[in-house]
Amino acid sequence: MINEYLLLSATLFTIGLIGFIIRRDLIVMLMCLEIMFNAVNISFASFSYYGGNYTGQIFVLFSIAVAAAEAAVGLAIVLALVRSTGINHSDEITGLRG
Amino acid sequence: MSQPAVDQAFFIYFYISLSILSIAVIASRNIIHSAFFLLIFLLHVAAVFLFLNAEFLMVIQIIVYVGGVLALFVFAIMVMNLKEELRHRKFVKFAGAGILAGLLFFAVFYVFIRNIKITPEKPLLGDVNTLGSLLYSYYLLPFEILSLVLLVALIGGIIIAKKNPREDK
Repeated sequence: MINEYLLLSATLFTIGLIGFIIRRDLIVMLMCLEIMFNAVNISFASFSYYGGNYTGQIFVLFSIAVAAAEAAVGLAIVLALVRSTGINHSDEITGLRG
Repeated sequence: MSQPAVDQAFFIYFYISLSILSIAVIASRNIIHSAFFLLIFLLHVAAVFLFLNAEFLMVIQIIVYVGGVLALFVFAIMVMNLKEELRHRKFVKFAGAGILAGLLFFAVFYVFIRNIKITPEKPLLGDVNTLGSLLYSYYLLPFEILSLVLLVALIGGIIIAKKNPREDK
């Protein structure tokens, strides 16, 4: 039933959130963002299925496209940061001006 | 839906394997191993979409995530050439507090979703025709705005990631 899918979604979102907080590498932090996106998409799709409505699936489509845009821009920012300063850990970024 | 026990068994398998894979993404030391665990994770999420009668979402998940986003991750890892990663520590200093905050979040979330009930009209049978006609009639304006978002992200990604021409001189 829908409780199981929402529990799955909550579990994956929590794991992604914990990974986003505790990892130092910027790329792995972006991967944890993808995990959280997927958890929310599972929740949308389960509401769409059990509610008998297609709106959830359309929002999953939009969410996937926004996630692709987010990954492109985020990886570009990480690449520019690594190229200009050589830092790829989140707790070593201390200056605002490169 | 004709065999609830089989469905239940598959759901338990996907629950456990998705949890283990997402923990493995976090816990593996090598970044390329994280990327491959993320690959298997995304394929499992596609299978969960198939359980929910969303065939089109399964196809889109595999094409966009596995074919697009994950290839982008692997390219970024390859371009950055992070060899010295194995010596460094993985987690930040306050990792325990982060885990605690995450578990607190999960507890609050569990209280919310514990007794949720949805009135079952009838479960959705995945129909790509209906989905496509709805996407191109009622959701046409968000769809077009989404294409603009993708265009802006494309141009912005190229501009951010290109080399600064003043540094070359």
